Amino acid sequence: MLRNRYTPYAFLSPYIIIFSVFWLVPILFSFAMSFMNTRSRTWQFDFFLNWGRLLEDELLWQALKNTFLIIALQVPAMLMLAVFAAVLLNSKDLNFKGLHRFAIFAPIVVAEAAYAVIFRLLFNDNFGFVNNMLALINIDAIAWTNSSSGATALIAIGLTWRWTGYNAIIILAGLQNIPKDLYEASELEGTSPWQQFTKITLPLLKPAILLCLVLSTFGTLQLFTEPTLLTEGGPGGSTTTVAMYMYSQGFKSFNFGYGSAIAYLIVFLGLTLSLLQFKLFGGKPDE
Amino acid sequence: MANIQMQQLKKNFGDIPVIKGIDLDIKDREFICFLGPSGCGKSTLLRLMAGLEEISSGEFLIDNKRMNDVPASLRGISMVFQSYALYPHLTVRQNLAFGLKIQKLPSDEINNRIREVARTLQLSELLDRKPKILSGGQRQRVAIGRAIVRRPKVFLLDEPLSNLDATLRVSMRVELARLHEELQATIVYVTHDQVEAMTLATRVVVMKDGAIQQFASPLELLHRPANIFVAEFIGTPKINLFKVEVQECGPQSITVTHALFSNPITVSIAKEIKFAAGTKLTLGIRPHRLSTKQSLDCTISAKVTIVERLGTESLLYTDLGLETLVICSAAGTVPIIRGDQITLGFSSANCLLFDDHDQAIERCLPADVQLLIS
Ligand SMILES: Nc1ncnc2c1ncn2[C@@H]1O[C@H](COP(=O)(O)OP(=O)(O)OP(=O)(O)O)[C@@H](O)[C@H]1O
Ligand SMILES: [Mg+2]
Repeated sequence: MLRNRYTPYAFLSPYIIIFSVFWLVPILFSFAMSFMNTRSRTWQFDFFLNWGRLLEDELLWQALKNTFLIIALQVPAMLMLAVFAAVLLNSKDLNFKGLHRFAIFAPIVVAEAAYAVIFRLLFNDNFGFVNNMLALINIDAIAWTNSSSGATALIAIGLTWRWTGYNAIIILAGLQNIPKDLYEASELEGTSPWQQFTKITLPLLKPAILLCLVLSTFGTLQLFTEPTLLTEGGPGGSTTTVAMYMYSQGFKSFNFGYGSAIAYLIVFLGLTLSLLQFKLFGGKPDE
Repeated sequence: MANIQMQQLKKNFGDIPVIKGIDLDIKDREFICFLGPSGCGKSTLLRLMAGLEEISSGEFLIDNKRMNDVPASLRGISMVFQSYALYPHLTVRQNLAFGLKIQKLPSDEINNRIREVARTLQLSELLDRKPKILSGGQRQRVAIGRAIVRRPKVFLLDEPLSNLDATLRVSMRVELARLHEELQATIVYVTHDQVEAMTLATRVVVMKDGAIQQFASPLELLHRPANIFVAEFIGTPKINLFKVEVQECGPQSITVTHALFSNPITVSIAKEIKFAAGTKLTLGIRPHRLSTKQSLDCTISAKVTIVERLGTESLLYTDLGLETLVICSAAGTVPIIRGDQITLGFSSANCLLFDDHDQAIERCLPADVQLLIS
């Protein structure tokens, strides 16, 4: 029988090969590229060309600002909504739980292009459903695609619509791990429902919320789909994100070296932010 | 300080009645155990008292005040949960302080109370630890501490010792008895362990299917069970039961026969009761009241099928072709082995009689039994 210490690796080899060819090599290669001048006829190492440009590139800084604005607006709002939705989904008075859970999770499985088309119709500046509704309650039409604040809001709404359910399900799992008798014990001690929420539920949900926070921040840092499909980065570049900028540098201008440097900047920012979040909010609640 | 009354207390879950009309009168400073098999409604009854479940009908009073609609936190009770239900994200000190802070007590009052409770329960060293790193016994003490620190009138405990190992259970049992002395509080304690009930309780509520079978002191349950259920439930090893037939009823005694008995046996009764000759009754005799040495009033001859040596006691199981094996408790070193043919003697004073509805026929207690009712 073929059974020695290489056997496990034999079984893992398809994964290892695919991982190496399609992940590891490109990752290492792009890292190398970020130190090269890829505009010259033969690529040459030029250590500070791309990384130096990062610091001076006004457009990049604008894209970073746009991205962080969306993160700052959208992630906290979405997490609050997700906690709220999870608490509702976990309520013992809720009927048809399965249906509701599916409904709130469903946006994540809808094709992005399909939902973008519908969103563009709903939020059309001139004849969109949303503006029509706003008109009914005497609110002026919002320039969803023709103003930078409108466009940013539109993207935040789209992101929230698509990801709230996903986060709610993670938080719901956390909620279900909280023993019921903690609430009973605190009820006997005279705790109001709101105090139960702030003094028991939230602290015990911290690990789940932190996970959602890190995943959402990392995800939004790479935001590409929504601004591309909903606002095309506009108006006037006001919703162009770092990921879009990286794409345009790498694949429209074919400046692979600079594109790679931006990609590594995104990874670096993501890691820093995650570490910061773990430092600030981390530490298991029961240790 | 609190007495507790229940009048026709009922609880239904949907259409299913779980508590079927409980009448109970608990005096101040009693230690009451709810004892019964799994699913009989002990926890539900306790949760009704705590206010964690809504009472379907009937009255529930603490200190003669109706409590049915009083919120849980205002009933003057504390509850210790089987799972302890400690707040995992808070230290022991914060766990103890939680309810007091909610009540907005001044902080030096809170600190004083915590110090006092910590001393009583030997928690002082543990105050800054989180529950996760405590042992089972320590968590248990914290849970009890959290109940005490609120200074309630009534303590409710739901199987507080069932998650502990055997040795710890014994020491916590002693501790609970001491606490009852010290706190001078009314305690209601749920258990399905009869040793806990017998050792701790001033009186025991034996329950079955959501109804009270008997409410009496531990010794009374053992010596004057109200019915066959209680007789079988209390006492280890289990009581031996024989289906006997009435031969004759006198004013102070009933004479019964059984095919396996050497002769008819006449059992004294406390109150006159008439049964027609031939009526089927049940006669109960506890294993340690069967003697392998003396003939006494009546004998049964039996073949030993199993011998269990428990140390100070040996249990002899004999198959008489009845529904269950008849058990005799003998000395630890009794020289009887499997397969031996033995004669079991018993005296009529130790027999319990139950009527054709499984209810006890009131007996005269044997001379060596005192119920020590205070
Ligand atoms: N919330 C509920 N909904 C429906 N039925 C319930 C509920 N809680 C308890 N029951 C039922 O009520 C009966 C009594 O339950 P309870 O928990 O009071 O039993 P118990 O005597 O404490 O048993 P154990 O010794 O196993 O803890 C059980 O048949 C149980 O299935
Ligand atoms: Mg129970």
